[in-house]
Order: sequence, then structure tokens, then C-alpha cells
Amino acid sequence: MSLLSDELSSIVGARHVLERATELLVYESDALPGYHKKPRLAVFPGTRDEAIAVVRALHAARAPFVPRGAGTGLSGGALADDVVLLGLQRMRKIISVDPSARTATVEPGVVNVNLTKAAAPFGLHYAPDPSSQSACTIGGNVSENSGGPHCLKYGVTLNHVIAATVVLPGGDVVKLERPTADHTGYDLLGAYVGSEGCFGVTLDVTVRLTPNPEGVFTMLADFTSVDDAARATSAIVAAGILPAALELMDHGTIECVESSIYAAGYPRDAAAVLLIEVDGALAGLDEDVREVQRLCRDCGAREIRTASDATERARLWQGRKKSFGAMGRMAPHLAVQDAVVPRTRLAPILARIAEIGGKYRITVCNVFHAGDGNLHPNVPYDGNDPDETARVHAAMREIMEMCIAEGGAITGEHGVGLDKIGYMESLFPGDSLDAMCRLRDAFDPERRANPGKVVPSHRCREWLAAPGAHS
Amino acid sequence: MPRATSTTELSEIVRDAHDARARLRIVARGSWPARTAAVATDAALLDVSALSGVVEYVPGDLTLTAKSGTTLAEIEEATRANGQWCPLLPWGGDGGTLGATFSTATHGPCSASLGAPRDHAIGMQFVDGTGALIRAGGRVVKNVAGFDLTRLLIGSWGTLGVITEVSVRLRARPAVDETWSVEIEADDASAARLDEFRRGPLAPLAMENFNGRSLVRIGGNAAFVAASREAVKSLGAAVSADPESWTRLRESDPRPRGPLATNALADPLSQRVKKQFDPAHILNPGILGEALA
Repeated sequence: MSLLSDELSSIVGARHVLERATELLVYESDALPGYHKKPRLAVFPGTRDEAIAVVRALHAARAPFVPRGAGTGLSGGALADDVVLLGLQRMRKIISVDPSARTATVEPGVVNVNLTKAAAPFGLHYAPDPSSQSACTIGGNVSENSGGPHCLKYGVTLNHVIAATVVLPGGDVVKLERPTADHTGYDLLGAYVGSEGCFGVTLDVTVRLTPNPEGVFTMLADFTSVDDAARATSAIVAAGILPAALELMDHGTIECVESSIYAAGYPRDAAAVLLIEVDGALAGLDEDVREVQRLCRDCGAREIRTASDATERARLWQGRKKSFGAMGRMAPHLAVQDAVVPRTRLAPILARIAEIGGKYRITVCNVFHAGDGNLHPNVPYDGNDPDETARVHAAMREIMEMCIAEGGAITGEHGVGLDKIGYMESLFPGDSLDAMCRLRDAFDPERRANPGKVVPSHRCREWLAAPGAHS
Repeated sequence: MPRATSTTELSEIVRDAHDARARLRIVARGSWPARTAAVATDAALLDVSALSGVVEYVPGDLTLTAKSGTTLAEIEEATRANGQWCPLLPWGGDGGTLGATFSTATHGPCSASLGAPRDHAIGMQFVDGTGALIRAGGRVVKNVAGFDLTRLLIGSWGTLGVITEVSVRLRARPAVDETWSVEIEADDASAARLDEFRRGPLAPLAMENFNGRSLVRIGGNAAFVAASREAVKSLGAAVSADPESWTRLRESDPRPRGPLATNALADPLSQRVKKQFDPAHILNPGILGEALA
């Protein structure tokens, strides 16, 4: 037992501090296989006061730490060697739901779907719906500025968070609020959302709740070429229709899903399917549905199936939302990409990804938010095979560089973490990276929160590590 | 008056000012609210109006990038031909620039339904208080690469950097866009109906008091607007109104109201942010109500 673990035990209770290597195993990685980092210990506060006391103890000990929710992240973000892992999943109280203001305040460990369940009796829901929503936490969503299929119409986490209480790495507690029309001040909440655990530890979050739509139509359009599906996507976007969700799955993904327990009845002989959901007021909804169907047919859709009831809709969605898991059947590891490209460039970019896959002899399964141009070219592979692993990494780099050259971004919703930090210098000039470091330094002058993430540390001009150097 | 005609020139001007600790007041069209008197009186005017023009517009992607001195009216004109818009529609009208609208985070009557400035921007470029040219975000509609400097700059009133370019996501204009003027009785039943309308599935694009009546803007496809129209008529005596009423209303109400009387830099975190981006305190000094040395 170390001095620090004694002190943390005195705050949260000894059974909420883990130190043994076997107990810490599960905290060595997140949901993206391939990264393993060994924390020195893990601590799990159960209340807001405990969390504050833990952060202050870590500050006094000058100990680096990594905040962590459910560990469902896909960028290797919530792990680091020799740090204190600060797990927030015990803090899972829904503090309040205000149906008339359409807001809710929750602790960071609340699971995304549980918030929607708490809002359901009032005809409301929490709109951002990452595919991992049955496990991921609101605190994690805030850290990553998570998206999800329905973010096409409803916006990402940033657009739904109204306020957050945060304990800064130095121990101060601050309330960050979304600026309003009448309030002038820096949008520190906007800066905090998506800061990947580098700016502090979230104690509570207030979010906007969204009224459930009056009507929902979920359609599955079936194409004999990926190119046609991509063109249909561009046509729908260009026509000015804003579906709630517009998802593309290619043949490889369909095969994975249909061979798994998540089988959704997708046509196995299709080259690609589009899962399209149109929702809103009943008035005018039929017109949008017919227009989407017409555009899909014009682009060569073979068949368009419309979910006739909630069960059928849930089944169509289950295949999509569990598709990453279904890929687990193919191989022990899965490389996951998250690039965003201009939507008019989808068809040529998907063709290029297929070429790169062929060149490196790997299987690329595409499943992604087509309406946003947010690609997920995923590659199941065996990490124990050094040759295959090298080919996967080379292919991934080539795909990413192509997306950057097309004017895209390296991550749309998963975060930079460890996995994409190597691309930051291709995307941003040195002064921009340094500016990001400076923003981090305002929140965490000692750079102890989630060290070594998001911006390569050699890009940060000055190292202000010495205590007091920031004042 | 220093006048920047390129980002390189702007960088040099700000770097020199930083080194000399010379204060600057950023100005383009001068349509920022009258209350910029809060800026230190010894600040030299820095004219950035020459940084103007659309840089890239891809209608199929519904994205547009323009230099900060471009007026909202110019963006309106460029996008209208494709049935698109960037519905910032701020108080004060469309004569001001993109840079000013985002710097001041000025809302408008459609902000509640279509989003505030922070919801429309996908990326930007700015020169910070040391003269460094910084790029944040990008030109695609979804992006979490790096810390969010875009959100940080929006509403910072030019005190963290001079915005030189903004990328925005556009929307398709509603196929039908109607404005109605309604006389709503002041009784409880009317108030309840109004509340149901504003919170329900037929919620309007905008609703404001104008000349003692309610001005209501409804938009969507034909069937949606037909249903909305009936809902509007159920609120009270309704007559069709000139859509230009919105422009007049916005121009007659030149919000933003300006910096708060209180010091927006009172908290230590905001002070640390300010110090990181404008260490010499030369950008629009005083505009956030902070004391000047």
C-alpha cells in the first residue's frame, strides 16, 4: 500500500480503491482493442464530495490521473501508464428531471440510455445516442462530445449540454454554463465539451431533453453497389431533407451482422444498405418519406422496406447499433476509424478505401453515419499476427491521409485519444496545436489530467510543470 | 488607422502591437453595438473589413467558408440561389459581418429553433493576441479533432483573437416560409394554447411581439405549413404579414446589448484563458467590463 492509496482509501473506502495487477487488468484498455496501459491504481468515488476530495488529494500528491466512465471509448482515451484511474461509474444519480423546462441534471456515471428512460414518462428523450448508449455514460459523452446516428438532425453532445459542474485538476470547483443571448462571457462549457478528460473531472451535467417526435418512419433501402448508396445519400442531403438518421452499411458489415445474434434481416446479397429514419410532426412527414424513397429509387435502390411497427424498427436499429460488436466474431481485434469527409465526396472516397483494402489484403467493413459524411471503415484482424497487423496499420494510415487530403477531419465523434494523436500534425499547423495546449493549460496548468492525449506534447511550447509556475 | 488586407498583415500588426503593448480596438463595418465605448479610449482602431469574401461554398455539402469581413447579406445572397441559408438572422440585421456576429455571439429571433451562433460554426481561423495565426475545427459538419477553440472564440468579443475566417454549416431553406401577424387575447385559455403551440410538434421558426401583435414565422414543406397555419389561426385573429417584417424588426432592435456591467473576466479560469491568448491585454481591452491597468 502506498501513501496515496491510503489517503484515497480514507476518502472513498478501501473497497473502492484497486491496486492489485489482477484487479486493474480491466482498466488497462477501453473498447478499442490494441491499446494496453497499466494504471498504478484505480479509485472510485461514490459522491460529488468524494470526487472533489480525491482530485484535491491527487493535486496535493502531484499525481497524474485519467477520468473514466464506462470504458466504452473507441480512441484509447481513458487509459495511461502509471496514472491514477478515476472511475466515475458509481456516481450514477439522476439528480433531477424538469419536464416543463425540458432539462435534466445527472451525475457523470449515469448511463446514456437510463437518462432517456427517466425522461420517457414525460414524452421526452436525450437525443445524442452513441451506438454504445446501453453502456456508455453521460460524463464520457461530455468528454468525447459524442455523436450517434440521430445527431444528423438533432446535433451532437455539445448542442445538448446546458451546464456542467467541474472540479479542475487544481481542486477548484467551477460551474460552466452555456452562454445565452443575455449573458456575455467565454463559452468555457463549449471548450470543456470534447476535452477528452484533459480539462478536469465532471461532477454533474445539465442537459436539454428533446420531445419525442409525433411520427417516425424507418426505412431500409437496398443497393447493388456502394456507389449507388453513397449517391443516394448525397441526393437526399442536397434535396434539403434532413432525416433523423442516415446510415450506410456495406456488404462486409451486413455479413457480420447477419451471421451474429444481432441479425436484423438485412439482405445478405446487397452491396450496401441505407438505414434512413425520418421523423417529426405528422403533418408533412409522408411527403418527406415519399421524397426519400423516390431519391433512393432514382439512385438504383432495389427495394425499400419500411418498418411497420416499433419492434421491426428496433430490430433494424439493433443490427446497426451492435455492428461493431458483431465484427468481434470475425477476428480478435478490430481497427476502428472515425474520419469525416465532405458528403459530396463519399462515393469516390469509398471506392478508394476499397482499393486500399485490396492493396493491403485486408477486409474493410464500412458502417457509418453517411448523412454526416462520418466514416467508420473498420478492419477485423488478428493482433497476434505481426504481418497482418502491419498491413492493417499501413492501410489505416493511407485511408486517413486520403481523408485529410480530401478536406476531411480525423475524428467525428470518437475523440483523438491515443489512437489518432499521430494524425494531429497532419491536420493542424504547429501554432494551432500550441493554441490547443494553451487552452488546456488554462484548465490544467500542471498537465496532470489525462496526460499525453489529444495534442502531441512536443507541440506544446512551454512546459509549466513546476508547481506555482502558472500563477 | 492600421488596416489589414491579408491574414499575414494582420498577424504582423497584432504581433507588433503585442510587443509594444499597444492596445487595439477591432472594427470592420462598425455595426457592433454602440456601447463599445467600454473599450479603452487609447486603443488604436484595427480595420479588418478588407478581409472579405466567400472562400469556399459547396452547395452539395451544405457548407460555406468565408472571410470574417464578409457581410451576412453577402452570404445570404450567395446561398439563396441554391435554396440554402445560414439562418443566423441576428438582431441588428444583415449589414454586419460574419466575424462580428460570431465574435459577439449575437442571437436572433430564429436562434431558439434553428440554433445560436455556436451551433452553426464548424471551424474558424483567427489571429490571437500574440499574432499567431490559428486554425480550429475544419470544413466538415462533424469534427472532434482537438480542443474546441471555435467555441472558445465565439462570443469572446474579440478579446482572445481576431477572427479572420469562419466555416459554417448551411441548411436548406424551408420550401414554404410564411409570416403571420396574430392578435392574441390576454386570457388564460389563449396563453395555454400559445404555450402548446410553441412547445408542440408545429413549433414556429420564430415568434416575437411587434407593434402590439405577435409576429409568427412558420416554415417547412407544404403539408407541414398548412397544418401550422391552422394552428396559428387558432391562436387569435391572424392576418398574413410581409416576410420583410422580420428584417425591419431585427434592424429596429440592435441587440446584442453589449458587454455586461459586471466583469465577465472576474473568475480565475476566464482570466487564465485570457492570459494564454492575449497575454499583453491588447485586444478590445475593457470590453468585457474588466479593469484596465
